[in-house]
Amino acid sequence: MEGFVRFFEHSGFVNTTPGHLLMILVGLIFIYLAIRYEYKPLLLVPIGFGILIGNTPFAEHAGMHLGIYEEGSVMNYLYMGVLKGIFPPLIFLGIGAMTDFSPLISNPKLMLLGAAAQLGIFLTYIGAISLGFNNPEAASIGIIGGADGPTAIFLSSKLAPHLIGSVAIAAYSYMALLPLIQPPIMRLLTTKKERRIKMKPPRSVSKLEKILFPVVALLLTGFIAPGSLPLLGMLFLGNLLKESTVTKRLADTAKNAMIDIVTIILGVTIGASTQATTFLTQESVFIYILGATAFMISTAGGVLFAKIMNLFLSTENRINPLIGAAGVSAVPDSAIVVQIEGLKADPDNHLIMHAMAPNVAGVIGSAVAAGIMMSFLL
Amino acid sequence: MTAFVQILPVDLSAICREHIGLAVIGYSVVFFSLFLLFLVFTIIPKFLTRNLRKKFQKAGGEEKAAFAGNMIQGEVSAAIATAISLYLEELHDEETAILTIKKVGKSYSPWNSKIYNVINFNRFQR
Repeated sequence: MEGFVRFFEHSGFVNTTPGHLLMILVGLIFIYLAIRYEYKPLLLVPIGFGILIGNTPFAEHAGMHLGIYEEGSVMNYLYMGVLKGIFPPLIFLGIGAMTDFSPLISNPKLMLLGAAAQLGIFLTYIGAISLGFNNPEAASIGIIGGADGPTAIFLSSKLAPHLIGSVAIAAYSYMALLPLIQPPIMRLLTTKKERRIKMKPPRSVSKLEKILFPVVALLLTGFIAPGSLPLLGMLFLGNLLKESTVTKRLADTAKNAMIDIVTIILGVTIGASTQATTFLTQESVFIYILGATAFMISTAGGVLFAKIMNLFLSTENRINPLIGAAGVSAVPDSAIVVQIEGLKADPDNHLIMHAMAPNVAGVIGSAVAAGIMMSFLL
Repeated sequence: MTAFVQILPVDLSAICREHIGLAVIGYSVVFFSLFLLFLVFTIIPKFLTRNLRKKFQKAGGEEKAAFAGNMIQGEVSAAIATAISLYLEELHDEETAILTIKKVGKSYSPWNSKIYNVINFNRFQR
């Protein structure tokens, strides 16, 4: 009888709180959005399911070692990859092996859009300070504006590990919602005439240039912001594996099997880290609000800077300001949003190749921003 | 703005010079590093094509020499690459192989026998 009572006490029915039910609902919404609307399914399905795993109630502190925050539990071991900042560089290796930097190399001035769109990081940092967060916490929240999940997780793991769950959930959910967040801002800040600007097709890029890019870019950015080395080092290594064409097997593994494995574990553990008892706080709500603001400011920063650049460019070299919105990293989602908006203004104007340039520059920019924050605050 | 401040506990006095300094310096450094990358990759293609330009200049083709730095457009090289690839792989509309249709005899089985087919039901109705 005693065993039966203990079994009942350990069951989910006894330990359920309204918070658990709310988080289960959030997890189900994530899974629904991913399957029904295909919003970032590769991330939202593991994260959504992770939320279900993390919020299925059980008797915490009963010595069963089940929770992600309980030392010795399986989930806790997997979560170490997030807490110690191991997974983000591995994901960057895969991203590097998948990324084609040639649109950026062929039109290098578009790199500046990737820098301009990091405005959201630094303004949101200030906003977070005004909401009572301390310096490292504010930096971890600000980096959401970079729209780069691995970078946000990496910086939070170094500066504010207790905020990783909230920061990652905010970053990934807003990345999934980019098609809803960006277009109104893009339309608000541009005229119809500007949205119709046709850009010169990019020139072809030689193999030597493609090989030089990861090496030179790593040395330049690494010397300026060494804090970004774990991320950018792996990103450019992955790219060199691809572009050198002599390490095809390694590049294939990095961009397929390896990134898939890491994405699954990262997604599930991030989802599970949103355990209602630790996640549902006022801080998380503020982080969510600040995250949305960061995305909007970054989008606006990119678009406005493209308009400023146009003031100094000749008519044939003018930039369609919509591509500035792709300066937030979120590869390739923001470039796809730009393409769709461009087609709405002019059905013959395909902007995706041009938008990929600020998009990949945004990845570099947000990693550099994370490196700078680390150098300042660690 | 006032409503926003009322909902969220915004305390603007918490922002000090150090915070603004970090934001300004941080943003400037991001810009600076990508600007450097922009400069380097504006110069590199010119450097890589300098021999070609010299060659054209010696040959007296000033116009070609000026064009050498710009290189051909991506879509032009994609079209050329596709044409070469199609030529090398000999993909064309008319097949060189002779195709023949061979009649395949079906071996009898009660499972596919026509007389047991449900379609025959109509015939019995008539």
